[in-house]
Amino acid sequence: MSAAWITILAPLLGALLIGLSPAKAARWIALSVSGVALAAILQLVMNFPGWKSGLFESEANPVPFLPEFGITLWLGYDSVAIMLALLNAVLVPLCVLGSFSAIREREREYYAWFMVLSASIMLAFASRDAILFYIGYEFTLVPMVFLIAIWGGPERKSAATKYFLYTFFGSIFVLGAILWLGVSMHAATGVWNFDIDALIAYGQSLPASTQWWLFLCLAGGFAVKVPIFQLHTWLPLAHDQAPTGGSVILAGTLLKLGTYGIFRIALPCAPEGAVALAPFFAVLCVIAVVYASLICWVQRDVKRLIAYSSIGHLALCVLGLFAFNPIGAEGSVYYMVNHGISTGALFLCIGMVYERYHTKDMERLGGLVKRMPIWAFFMGLFTFASLGLPGLNGFVGEVLCLMGTFIADSGSTPDNYPGVLGPWYATVAASGLVLAAMYLLIMLGKIVWGPLTEPHDDHHAPSGLSVDLNWREIGVLAPLAVLCLWLGLAPGYVLSNLEPACTRMLAPFPAIVQAHIAADVQTAHDSEKEQN
Amino acid sequence: MTPMLALVSSDVTTAVVDGAAFSWLGWTLALPAISAVLCTLCALLKVPGKLPAMLTVASLGASFALVLQFYQQMPATPITIHLAEWMSFSWGPTDFHALQAPLALYIDRLTVFWMLFVTGLGTLIALYASEYMEADVKSGYARFFAGVSIFLFSMTALVMGGNLLLLYLGWEGVGLASYLLIGYYYTRPAAVAAAKKAFIVNRIGDLGLALGLFLTWRCYGTIEFSELFSRIASAPSNAPWDEALIPYLFMLGAFGKSAQIPLYVWLPDAMEGPTPVSALIHAATMVTAGVYLIARMYPIFLVQPDALVVVAWVGGSTALLAATIGMAQFDLKRVWAYSTISQLGYMFLGLGVGTTFGACYHTFTHAFFKALLFLTAGAVMHGFAGQLDLRHLSGLRRVPGFRLVSWLALLGCLWLAAIPFSAAYFSKDTILATALGSDRADFRFLGWMGLFTAGLTAYYTFRIWFRVFAGPVHFVPGNDSHDADHAHAKFHPHGPRWAIRLPLILIAIGAVLSGLPGYIETFAHKENWAQWMIAGSSAVEGAGLSHGGHAEHADHGHLVLGMDAHKAASLLSGILGAIGIGIAFWIHLARRSAADSIRRTIEHTPLIGWIPRAAERKWYVDEVYHAAFRMPLWMTAHVLHFIDKHIVDAGVVDGIGRAPASLGRVFRPLYGGALQSYAVTMAGGIGLILVWLVWNWVRGVH
Repeated sequence: MSAAWITILAPLLGALLIGLSPAKAARWIALSVSGVALAAILQLVMNFPGWKSGLFESEANPVPFLPEFGITLWLGYDSVAIMLALLNAVLVPLCVLGSFSAIREREREYYAWFMVLSASIMLAFASRDAILFYIGYEFTLVPMVFLIAIWGGPERKSAATKYFLYTFFGSIFVLGAILWLGVSMHAATGVWNFDIDALIAYGQSLPASTQWWLFLCLAGGFAVKVPIFQLHTWLPLAHDQAPTGGSVILAGTLLKLGTYGIFRIALPCAPEGAVALAPFFAVLCVIAVVYASLICWVQRDVKRLIAYSSIGHLALCVLGLFAFNPIGAEGSVYYMVNHGISTGALFLCIGMVYERYHTKDMERLGGLVKRMPIWAFFMGLFTFASLGLPGLNGFVGEVLCLMGTFIADSGSTPDNYPGVLGPWYATVAASGLVLAAMYLLIMLGKIVWGPLTEPHDDHHAPSGLSVDLNWREIGVLAPLAVLCLWLGLAPGYVLSNLEPACTRMLAPFPAIVQAHIAADVQTAHDSEKEQN
Repeated sequence: MTPMLALVSSDVTTAVVDGAAFSWLGWTLALPAISAVLCTLCALLKVPGKLPAMLTVASLGASFALVLQFYQQMPATPITIHLAEWMSFSWGPTDFHALQAPLALYIDRLTVFWMLFVTGLGTLIALYASEYMEADVKSGYARFFAGVSIFLFSMTALVMGGNLLLLYLGWEGVGLASYLLIGYYYTRPAAVAAAKKAFIVNRIGDLGLALGLFLTWRCYGTIEFSELFSRIASAPSNAPWDEALIPYLFMLGAFGKSAQIPLYVWLPDAMEGPTPVSALIHAATMVTAGVYLIARMYPIFLVQPDALVVVAWVGGSTALLAATIGMAQFDLKRVWAYSTISQLGYMFLGLGVGTTFGACYHTFTHAFFKALLFLTAGAVMHGFAGQLDLRHLSGLRRVPGFRLVSWLALLGCLWLAAIPFSAAYFSKDTILATALGSDRADFRFLGWMGLFTAGLTAYYTFRIWFRVFAGPVHFVPGNDSHDADHAHAKFHPHGPRWAIRLPLILIAIGAVLSGLPGYIETFAHKENWAQWMIAGSSAVEGAGLSHGGHAEHADHGHLVLGMDAHKAASLLSGILGAIGIGIAFWIHLARRSAADSIRRTIEHTPLIGWIPRAAERKWYVDEVYHAAFRMPLWMTAHVLHFIDKHIVDAGVVDGIGRAPASLGRVFRPLYGGALQSYAVTMAGGIGLILVWLVWNWVRGVH
């Protein structure tokens, strides 16, 4: 059995086992099956041929699943997919470990749903078949909704409803576009095939006007998941209300399904449309950076603050994709991974405080470094990773996205990768550097530094946890801290491995952008003539 | 401009040699990093004792030794040392935009010049701090030294980094260290606020640096110094607008880090940090990073001479503004903070009028005497339980244990006032002479402004010394007695021990010696050592705006009052300094009541009555910034939050969400509104599809 299958079936099997075994065993089963998934994918990462080829690499041939419609069970990764799958495989066991003390009721259900969630994310990242991808992509909703609705905060019902309906609404467009592609390819060639690579090849052969609609549907659908500005209002509520583990996975990998979808399907399927719509999406991203950062500034709830910060961060990530050059694309993928690590870690840190004090209100917490120096160390580290301090992971993705955008225009770009954005987009987006420092340091100044402020309410039973972090909690955060430093100080290894896949994705773009620019110049020329 | 460019190209683009033989210099980067990690571990594991201090002092001392070692065998040409990979890209057939940002060092004499005083003073101040911070051995001692080590690591990366991205890493890293150390006394809200302010204001500057980096890369296709300077030199001299923008962006970064108008507001607040931090980071080393940046990127500024005019004006105005505020402050450390801003202003004036040598030399001399002043202030603070108000301290030179401190403070004050034949006299006068002897009228004006500021400097410097160290003995101890038994009734000021005294003496010796190059230049007519140190670096001397070629002796410059500029600057600044000291002597020592009566008189004079109060309140710049920038932004944030929550979400989204509900009444049994049933229905639906698919599959296989 191939490693990709193990990453999906092991958690599913685990979920089944959890259902059959006593509640006490649930956490250990969840931990071990997610460990198995991690081991499987690590084994694959170690000798993965896709690092160099940039192609999807499968360990097995496609298994015909629904041959009438060309749907196959075909799993495989390229270097981008495997990075994100690896991210998920790392985060899930840490979340399970972090949930030991946080989840005290209906444990079996919790861990079972968590395993189902992990499996469906893994399925989405591992699919080579668009329908299979969609099943994984869409099915993540179900376990997530249960996680929010059962173990969430006080507004969990409305959060779960909104999350479900909103993202489901977005997914319809994705499904519609994928089905339309498959059907029209069948009409054109007489062959049913939902292999992503085949769909891409077909999509690129479509006329520009069709691609425009196609891209709008695909990217618009994925945009809900990312979320892109004005499609984002489900996010603060869902992140805020979800239990810690749910928030981590939601921010860490579920949002990445959206950016991954844009990278994997939307951009390559409809490059003409992407180029035409790039300024539109880029403007939304640039606005989102400023808008979300400013909103972060006035939050009182730490978790909500981090949630809003995700909107700004991911906007930068998407902006990098629309630069249409390797530096932007690689930076974007790198940012996907890094955002998962640092924001996931921040949610874990906040969860640990919540377990002790039962509040996330910044006005009621303060100076916690006095009580919890080890926690404060981690919190500080992840905050600085999140605000893009060079030497930590967040910086690499951020600066590469910005640099990619900065040179993405027709002017002085190297001839090989022209783009349709340019310095102004990057300059406005870079203001996020200042704004992020502002809200994150305000947060740090309120809860970590300052005079010690602890809520004194006796309504809650004591948490039963040590004052500062215990070894289990250190074990949850330490691997992420190491990753933060490693990915920040030695990004070269990962970046060079991402390069082939990114350049492959970008292959059709230079010619299209060139033509697009030439057409623009022509139009400008013509209108000038008319005026004369 | 052509002769200048020729000069740049001949001096800077001399082949950059691969310095693999010197790769041991990488340890200057590694040692503080190791020390930072170990100190952090000490902090987390709560290791008691002075181990963190020893680690830090040892690693910094070793760094300094390495730099000295290198200094002795320094090659004439710049070298690059490739240590490891960091961030690199190559794409496509051309390597024009290949992003090369390895962990590499670019070392020319300018680098070594900076590293000498950064690591040297770093070691001494860390030693000083080992005693100064000892009351915190059980609480934040290790955290403090972790911060110092992070600072030294970052500063080393900033100065030695071989490309702009590595410089940026150091640049942000010193910001982090600054944040951690200003906020060291984290239970004090003022310290937390100051730390936050420092980082955020600096980030505005950093944004300029980042954009400058992007634009440099866009225009020249490289961010490695070894490549960059030759590409700049070979670029056409009439730069298109985007190239012309680069120096302005770098300037913004420099103004942030070096506390110049308009971004100087963080530095006075930064005095909330422990005094060794103020001495090391906020006076001697980190704040000179902006001077270093412009000196390092000088070729880019030369392409765009208007940028240098801006630098000169900002520097000159900052020097004056900060001096006027410094005159009206009552907190010892704040006065030194404003004097730091003011002196940094001189350095920028020097850079702007084209004497990189003057600017760098002044940086060097300033590092010693300002560190000395801060450390003596720290000794006072340490001995008098945190008292810094000069209205509550007097006659300290007669207090047992403070004699040495007082005399060393006097030395520092004399040097800051730039009395004739002190180190600052030589360095500052180089700057003023260049400005005064310039062909440009506005530079000459700035020169006069600088002279006037020199008079003010002498006044406020000696205001401190005469108030605090001279006069009758009188003191009120401050509030933070770190020993519980030090009740105010039986308060005994305790004098410093060896770990404070030794660095003080060594830094004082350094301050004296830092004038040596000036003596040798003036009296032996030999080349100034500082000038020799920056020759052949990117901060090429003599390529400024003031003169066609030779700025160093101002021989061909304008005559000032019938004298050559150098002589005039020396004479005039000497006279103005003497007047300043004289006034300070009169109203702060001889007749102290006069100060109050003068102030009262001014306050009751119409039209100028507001001045003393406004100067004390720092000309209300913070308040203006608050009203002009922070408030509007904050209000926008609230408005956006409201829009997001109540219009976009509750209005549009929920509205759309509710629309189908009326339709959905038909399907009420299925979609009863309860959430779980949605999910169950969906799970059921997907389940059905799956069953159907599997069934089809099974059928297909058969």
